[in-house]
Amino acid sequence: MSDIRDTLVLVLAGGVGSRLNVLVQTRAKPAVPFGGVYRIIDFALSNVMTSGLTQVGVLTQYKPLSLMKHIGTGEAWDFTGRTRGVKILPPRTGAKESDWYKGTADAVRQNLDFINAHPSQDVLMLSGDHIYQMDFAEMIRFHREKKADVTIAMMVVPESEIHQFGTGITDGSGRIIDWEEKPKKPRTNLASMGIYVFATDYLRRVLAENREEVDFGMHILPKAIGRDRVFAFPFHGYWRDVGTVQAYWEANMDVLREDTSISPEAWGIRPNIEAEGRRYDRPPARFLPGCTVRHAMFAAGCRIEGEVTDSLLSPGVWVKKGAKVTGSILFHDCVVEENAVVDLAILDKRVRVGKGAVVGSGPHKEVPNKLYPKHLYTGITVVGKGVEIPAKMVIGRNCVVEPFVQAEDFPSTFMETGATVAVREAGRR
Amino acid sequence: MKPKTVALILAGGRVDELNVLTYYRPKSAVPFGGVARVIDFPLSNLMQSGIERVAILSQYRSYSLINHIGIGAAWDMVGRHRGISILPPFTGFGHSDWYRGSADAIYQNLDFIRYHDPETVLVLSGDHIYSMDYRPLIDYHQAKGADLTMACLEVPREQAHRFGVAEIDDEDGSLGGRVLRYLEKPARPRFAWASLTVYCFKPEVLYQQLEVNAREDDSYEFGRNVLPRMMFERRRVYGYKFRGYWGYARTIEEYWQANMDCLGASPRVELASWPFRTNLEHGGVRDCQPAKIGSHALVKDSVIANGSVVDGQVEHSVLFPGVRVGKGAVVRDSILFYNTVVEPGARLDKVITDVEVRIGAEVQVGEPVPPAEQEATVVGSGNLIPAGRRIGAGCTLYPNLAPEKLARDLGPGEVAR
Repeated sequence: MSDIRDTLVLVLAGGVGSRLNVLVQTRAKPAVPFGGVYRIIDFALSNVMTSGLTQVGVLTQYKPLSLMKHIGTGEAWDFTGRTRGVKILPPRTGAKESDWYKGTADAVRQNLDFINAHPSQDVLMLSGDHIYQMDFAEMIRFHREKKADVTIAMMVVPESEIHQFGTGITDGSGRIIDWEEKPKKPRTNLASMGIYVFATDYLRRVLAENREEVDFGMHILPKAIGRDRVFAFPFHGYWRDVGTVQAYWEANMDVLREDTSISPEAWGIRPNIEAEGRRYDRPPARFLPGCTVRHAMFAAGCRIEGEVTDSLLSPGVWVKKGAKVTGSILFHDCVVEENAVVDLAILDKRVRVGKGAVVGSGPHKEVPNKLYPKHLYTGITVVGKGVEIPAKMVIGRNCVVEPFVQAEDFPSTFMETGATVAVREAGRR
Repeated sequence: MKPKTVALILAGGRVDELNVLTYYRPKSAVPFGGVARVIDFPLSNLMQSGIERVAILSQYRSYSLINHIGIGAAWDMVGRHRGISILPPFTGFGHSDWYRGSADAIYQNLDFIRYHDPETVLVLSGDHIYSMDYRPLIDYHQAKGADLTMACLEVPREQAHRFGVAEIDDEDGSLGGRVLRYLEKPARPRFAWASLTVYCFKPEVLYQQLEVNAREDDSYEFGRNVLPRMMFERRRVYGYKFRGYWGYARTIEEYWQANMDCLGASPRVELASWPFRTNLEHGGVRDCQPAKIGSHALVKDSVIANGSVVDGQVEHSVLFPGVRVGKGAVVRDSILFYNTVVEPGARLDKVITDVEVRIGAEVQVGEPVPPAEQEATVVGSGNLIPAGRRIGAGCTLYPNLAPEKLARDLGPGEVAR
């Protein structure tokens, strides 16, 4: 039996995560900033590191640039060394076939050569999309004890959310005897977290069976259940799929809470601030005379002259005199000018809110966005990367301002609740 | 590729300065401004100036410094033609000894300079807080064909007795000029351009002067021995007039003030606009989450580093990574190093705590009076101050005190060791 540390890890980081709207227009979902200094994939990678695993492949497809830059050599997660490594595995052309990844199983199938080049008894597969802390070594031990072909990490979720997940029904020994993918009428509250341990030989075999089977949750697992040894590894703890704007906002706010069950630093989650590529380091957050701050987090390089409450600020955010930021998430190097207000909003990197402007105005938080009613319906307004909001502009609730929108792109100085603004001339940014 | 300039940083003398803060580390490794070590300033200046062949001369308690420098990657000094070498004292066939002074430290490492055979040797102190582009200084030095060019700062006449001071003629106006006279810590100075310990040497002159110094003198300092001899020999010694901020932290009060200079609406030390780098790897600072300010916290005029958690009141203070300030605690005019814990209800006024200090609940350190009216109390690393203790202003607590040393309150100015 080989050492658990030799288990090969595949991180599936190719998902678009389109419900995150403007946050994923310039980057893949795993690369979306989280908790001030992290990106979502840091949670998966750090869990791999703290579990003692050292061989990692990251399967990318959608807008991989910021992800690749972020992962770099993998040094931030201690993946550099003679026996350690992290490899980025994009789709590629080959002698026999070449295509985009058509699903999770297809992506792994196209990288069988990577698996063969790293002999290991088991393969651990993760998604790069989730906020959680987990000891994978414990899961692999469980998998081996059960002599399982596949082990799926599963947790209890509220009945109202179960329809978003793959669900499993287990017998007394933890073996999964029935499977339903995203059921309308659930028979169980046990949901798959998208974390699998496969016995490597078994994985090769099932992937060879039928090339039309491109997705683990839809095809491979339902077929395996009943036929092969598929077990549920129970997980009890904090785990969030931050796939929607609302869930993303809530998980960030969970980091803020004083009685929080999520503490990235205590969990050993490592960011990669070196990947910011700045010429110089940011000094600590500066709180100027006359500022008001309460229940908020501030990364290095922030400069606070105004009021900030119930908010999370990434490095380099500047909140000027008389400005007020409440219930919001501001990414790197945003500037909130004098007397501007930001309420219940997510501002992507380098957004500038002009003097006296208001982002998040009006009482009708329940009026959804007209263009994206399924993305924005709880009152949160999202502003894309590099947007310039002119002075005195008023933006309502559930609004979308697309990346790189400039002052002249706004049709008027008032954006009603549920509206969307995009760059007028295509190609300009 | 031959470097045009080789820089040597004097970073290792045991200076009887900064009290217990230099108990376990040289002054150049003392934390500053919530994020940095003092030596980050000359290193960042070198990086900004494109000088990439650097040696650090260190002998006193150098572990903290070595740890901080790492391989020099933080300052981009890793590469085929770049590097930071730490040069400790060593034994050899002939002369071998501890470094006996700043000049001797360079003298013992002349082979390092000769090996690189530069056009200019830049000798710096690792102990000062300033931002300076060395390129105009080196250009001036070259243009003048000087044997030595030293950067100087005009200080108030009444303070000049603490420095090596130069009289500089106005050969080149505000840029600099020939040094007419140089006096090391004169009792009644009549000129006030203080030397910053930033020296540009012509290599051959440096070699020759250090050899004479080693042979003929009985002390081995640039300020006391080498500069006076060069003046006496009428060498071409020039002064370069520097006009920026210069943090000269020789006393605890000066050190405290330099840190306070990071605060306010327009701080004298504004790191955000200085080209500044530190080694975030040191102490795991890069892995800290953003500073967390609680619902009942009150923060005024302070800098607070990543990894800190503030639930109490912090005013006019500097907090390094990993500091905890509990509910109802008050921290004013203070500097709290890495991982200091202030438990609920404690009150700190003008206190400097070294790393890993724990201040118990309801402890009071210093007096609740304006900072100008009292001296700072310095708490050495690793101390645990039991709940309810009173410690006066101007006290010194040596590192890692046994519990019985803190079994009673301390009056103003007491020293616990």
